Amino acid sequence: MKKSKVKVRICLGTACFVQGGADLLLYNDFVDPAILAECEIEGCSCLDECKVGNGSAPYVSINDKIYSGVNQDMFCKLLAEAVKNA
Amino acid sequence: MLELNNQYTLMKRKIDTEVLKCFYDDTLVEQADRLPLEIIPKTRTPFRCCIYKERAMVRYRIMALAGINIELDDDEEKPLAEYMKEVLTEDKPPLPLLTTIITGCSGCPKSQYRISDGCRGCFARPCMSNCPKDAIVFINGQAHIQEDRCIRCGKCMEVCPFHAVVHIPVPCEEACPVDAVTKNEQGFVEIEHDKCIGCGKCVRSCPFGAIVERSGLFPVLRMIKRGEKVVAMIAPAIEGQFPGSLGQLKAAIKKAGFYDVVEVAEGAEITSENEAEELHEKITEGKGFMTTSCCAAYMELIYKHIPYLKDRHSTSLSPMGYTVNIIKEKYPDAKMVFVGPCLAKKAEVARRYKDISGVITFAELASVFVAKGIDVREMEAEDLGDTASFDDCRDFAVTHGVADCVIRRFKKDGVNPRVLAIDGLDKKTVRLMKTWERRAPEADLVEVMACEGGCLAGPGTIVKPALAQKLRNAARAPKTAAK
Repeated sequence: MKKSKVKVRICLGTACFVQGGADLLLYNDFVDPAILAECEIEGCSCLDECKVGNGSAPYVSINDKIYSGVNQDMFCKLLAEAVKNA
Repeated sequence: MLELNNQYTLMKRKIDTEVLKCFYDDTLVEQADRLPLEIIPKTRTPFRCCIYKERAMVRYRIMALAGINIELDDDEEKPLAEYMKEVLTEDKPPLPLLTTIITGCSGCPKSQYRISDGCRGCFARPCMSNCPKDAIVFINGQAHIQEDRCIRCGKCMEVCPFHAVVHIPVPCEEACPVDAVTKNEQGFVEIEHDKCIGCGKCVRSCPFGAIVERSGLFPVLRMIKRGEKVVAMIAPAIEGQFPGSLGQLKAAIKKAGFYDVVEVAEGAEITSENEAEELHEKITEGKGFMTTSCCAAYMELIYKHIPYLKDRHSTSLSPMGYTVNIIKEKYPDAKMVFVGPCLAKKAEVARRYKDISGVITFAELASVFVAKGIDVREMEAEDLGDTASFDDCRDFAVTHGVADCVIRRFKKDGVNPRVLAIDGLDKKTVRLMKTWERRAPEADLVEVMACEGGCLAGPGTIVKPALAQKLRNAARAPKTAAK
C-alpha cells in the first residue's frame, strides 16, 4: 500500500510570519529533498495558537499536531520524524 | 553580515511588540520598568553573562525604540517610565541615525589572522611562500603568525589547503564601508556620525546588538493617536515582506490607523522617466557617465566622502520625492510617513523633505501589526487603483531594477546605453568609486545600491531577500498567466 503524504501546514499569521515563520517557507533550500518528496507543505491562515498563549511563534502543524517555536533545524527534524513514522 | 533572522532580531521584535502593546493599552509609563523583567524572566537561561545584563540590554532596546540618543542621554538612575513620559510628549530629533550601547559591546580584539591546530606543518608551506611580509614562522612543526609583521592581507588563509588559518574580524568595523565605526581608548565601539552614511551594515553585523538605530516610530504613533491624517508611503521593497497581497497589506496599514496608502513605485515612474531623459542628454552631448540617485545611503556617501560625484548623479528626485508631490495634490492637509527598509532614508528626509513627518521600517510596521493583532492575510484586499504604468517600478527595490526601468523608458534612437550596477557598498566598492574621478567607469549609467541585492536586503526588512524575491515572483505569476 502506498503511504499517504505527511501534511505540513506553516502558519502564515502575521505574528508567526515575522518571527521566523517566513524562513520556513524556504524549505526547498534546507530540507532534504528525499523528505520533501514525502510531504505536502503549504502555508495556512493563522492557526490561532498565538491567541491561546502557550508556546511561541512560529507555529507549524504536522498531520494536525501543533508544534511551537519551530526554527529551520527543528523543522527538518520534525519532518524527518513524521516521514519515518508515516 | 549576520543572517537576517537570529536570536537578536527575534528578541528585538518581541521587545518592540511588547512595548507597542503597552502603548496601545495606554499603560506604557506604568509598565515600562516591568518590561525588561517580564521579557527576561528569572527562569531564562541567558545567552549573555547573566539575566541582569540581558535585562539591561532590553532596557536599552526600549530606549532606542523610543528614539533616545543613548550615547548622550543614558542615565542609569532614571527609570524607563521617565523616558517614556518624555517620548510621549515630545519628538526627539531624528539625527544622528545610530547610537551605541557600550554595555552590550564585547570589545572585540583587533581584527586578526590566527593559525589553528588544523595546521599539519606541510612540506609545501604555501602560507610561508605567499606571505608578502615573511610573517610566518614554523615552531614545533606548526605555522605561527608573527603579529608585529602581519599586515592582515589574508593571503595565508586563501592558500592553506587545510583551512587552518582563521580570520577573526571585528564585525562592525569590517562591515562599515566608510570606516565610521571605530574603537575608543577602552576598546569599545564608537561611531563617527559625521562620517556615517546610515547604511545600517554595522547594526546588522554586530552579534551583541551594541549598535542600534534610533527609531522614529513613536512620533508617528503619536500623530496617529492625535487623530491626524497620516498617509503611508510604502517603499517598493514592501512587496514580499508580509504574508498576503499588496491589496491586503494596504487594508492592514489602514487598519493600523493610517489614512491612506500610496506606493512609492508611483513616484519611481517619474524618477525613471527623468533619468532616462537626462541619460539621453548626457550620452548625445558626450558628457560622460551618470549615476542613479535614489539610494539614500549612496547619496550620503557622495556628500560625505566622494564629493566629485555630486556632478555625476542624476538630478532627478528620488521616488520618495515625487511621491510627496503626488500625495500633496491628493491630500493637501495630510501628513506623510515613509515606510521602508532603509535607515538612511531618515537622513534624506531630514536634509531635503520638510513635508515628510516620519520614517519607519517594515520591521517596525510588523510590530505594530502584531501588537494590534492585525493579520495581513485575513484582511479584505483593498483596490490599489490603476498601477499598470508603474508596476515595473516596484523593482526599484532590486539590484538592476532601477537601471532596467530607466532603460525601458529610454528614447530608442539607436543609442544603446552601457549599464553598470554597483551591487552593495563595501570598502572595496567605495575605493573603486573614488577612482572614477580619474578613470571613468566603462558605462553610461551606473546604478548604485548600498545594500547587496538592493533594498530587499535593507536593514529594516523582515524576511530574507531570497524569500522576498520568491514571494514577489509568486504575486506576479497569475497576472502574466492571465494575459
